Amino acid sequence: MARVYNWQIGREMSYWYPESRPRKQFAAVFDTNKCIACQTCTLACKTTWTSGKGQEYMLWNNVETKPYGSYPLAWDLNLLDMLNAGSWNGGRYTGQTIFESAPAGERVLSWRPASDDYAYPNVGEDDCAVGVDGGASFSLPHMAWFFYLARICNHCTYPACLASCPRGSIYKRPEDGIVLVDQGRCRGYQECVKGCPYKKVYFNPMTGTSEKCIACFPKMEMGLQPQCFVNCIGKIRMAGYISRPEQARPDNPIDYLVHVRKVALPLYPQLGLEPNVYYIPPLNVPIPFLRQMFGPGVEAALKVYRNADADLAGLLGLFGSTESVMTKWARRGDEVMGLDDSGRELVRVPMREPVFVRPWYDKANNVFRVNCP
Amino acid sequence: MSFASTARSAPLVSAFRRTIWLVVVAVLAAGASCRRPPAPTPEVLALTTEALPLDPADGAWQRAPEHVAPLLPQDLVEPKLSKPSTPAVRVRALASASQVAFRLEWIDAAADDLPGAGRFPDGCAVQLPRSASVDAPDPQMGESGRPVEIVYWRADWQATVDGRDDTIQALYPNATVDHYPFEARSLQPGSEAQRQMARRYAPADAAGNRRGGLRQSAVEDLVAEGPGTIAPAPSTTSRGRGVRTPNGWAVVLTRPLPNGLGPRGRTQIAFAIWEGSAQEAGARKMRTGWVGLSMREAP
Repeated sequence: MARVYNWQIGREMSYWYPESRPRKQFAAVFDTNKCIACQTCTLACKTTWTSGKGQEYMLWNNVETKPYGSYPLAWDLNLLDMLNAGSWNGGRYTGQTIFESAPAGERVLSWRPASDDYAYPNVGEDDCAVGVDGGASFSLPHMAWFFYLARICNHCTYPACLASCPRGSIYKRPEDGIVLVDQGRCRGYQECVKGCPYKKVYFNPMTGTSEKCIACFPKMEMGLQPQCFVNCIGKIRMAGYISRPEQARPDNPIDYLVHVRKVALPLYPQLGLEPNVYYIPPLNVPIPFLRQMFGPGVEAALKVYRNADADLAGLLGLFGSTESVMTKWARRGDEVMGLDDSGRELVRVPMREPVFVRPWYDKANNVFRVNCP
Repeated sequence: MSFASTARSAPLVSAFRRTIWLVVVAVLAAGASCRRPPAPTPEVLALTTEALPLDPADGAWQRAPEHVAPLLPQDLVEPKLSKPSTPAVRVRALASASQVAFRLEWIDAAADDLPGAGRFPDGCAVQLPRSASVDAPDPQMGESGRPVEIVYWRADWQATVDGRDDTIQALYPNATVDHYPFEARSLQPGSEAQRQMARRYAPADAAGNRRGGLRQSAVEDLVAEGPGTIAPAPSTTSRGRGVRTPNGWAVVLTRPLPNGLGPRGRTQIAFAIWEGSAQEAGARKMRTGWVGLSMREAP
């Protein structure tokens, strides 16, 4: 194994291949606090990419209710049970990653879902962390909690699927870091299905090969955000490109959220893959749970989010405002703009939407506007 | 008049008795040969014959001596097979002027022929150097510049060839499907437009990588120049057929004679078995090193 640097765990680690970062890295920020689990993203992906024979069970995008929801079943709990996890010393992870704890003869520490594990895509939906007795009511902090976790492929810097494939059928595009399964080369060994800790590679029994989220690369190549982003009802998502921490640009919206304000965090960074979908953690969830899921930066991230200033609030207002990929952004007064690489304005959003009040009775036309009797 | 009492009938009776004895001796001899087949040979001997049977149950296979090849877990490259499964494969071989056929038989209690997430089909393969040689390349999938040729059979492909439907319900009987895009009413059933629509949602198929779906053959010809390099041959000319035996599989694989392998020639061969129940696929397999393969004229 080679030695590579993983900034999310603050240290070097072992990986199957030497460090080779793409020229650009696809990345995304999801604001978990805005997600209502309507599954519109799931269906947008489903109808676009996985409507064929053998793809029936595939959810390249899914939304699950944490703490119990999971697809496939217990994808994260099973691995956390196996992992020789350690603690964090500041921003440095002192435990082992899935590459460093690979058993003899294996490339990564992993487990293999059975067919039945894919039989319950919405198990645990809206299940609270504790029972809710009759007469109970919410108070702050919540005694009972859950939150929605929307998931796609993380297009990791150190993909375990890629490391697991014995014949190099998975590749990471040097131009944008999107991780793809070469459908002309895959032989369906399912090593990637087993190796990916996020279980975001799916075996197609009708074609005999494994398939996964492609980050809608035909759209990204045109400067457009993926289907699950632009169809999101809650406007929780933004797609773009992330820089290395030392090269972070404040005018890059992803860099600003991840590196500058540190309000968006990777999913299970301790696994060691440097995943590139970043989550604004949910409010009102116990910190130990969130630290396990998003790493040691959770409390600071929540503090920044709770006290969002005009820049942060304005940038969050750009989420879901345009189909175009905003590689730059700027705030001028009460307006926030999404820009492309050349600085051309793609969209302009007011900090506060103007309020229009529609009277219940239209005097001019003598019409009542009440929808319900 | 009794048959035995006539003087003229005495020689006939004697001839009849001799015939009976000859028949009895012949039957006993045949029985003895059934009870004691040719002893297993230290290498694979391919007996020359005119026609090569594709049916594993064809009696012609009994004429070929059997070689029992012990199997080892693939433990040289990751991912390795950590736990041994199939202990041995029994091999017989026949050859014609242009083809060589192998009959592989092994014990496998469960037939695994359903592909799926976490499900793996049983399989087997024979591997030969591209050119007949006693100085063969690395038995672990060959070497760079020194390719090996592989004939690969899979149980799920055999099930498809034997008539299993190309539907998700054939793999998961309780599956329900609302709608496939290629079933849209605007598309004429069986039309080219419908086929094109179906291929759009079958990316491997569209890329020409036929790993599943309807098949004409249960085997695939492959070439490799080292671990991780296996690739389909330009075309599959080999044939194969597998059937369940009372306690496992019997598979016949027929391929062209390797370059340079004449009527009394010798080369090397290797075997691999995948046990689906043990989740074996790709590098996770039971395999042999090189075993001698000699051509022999039938006695």
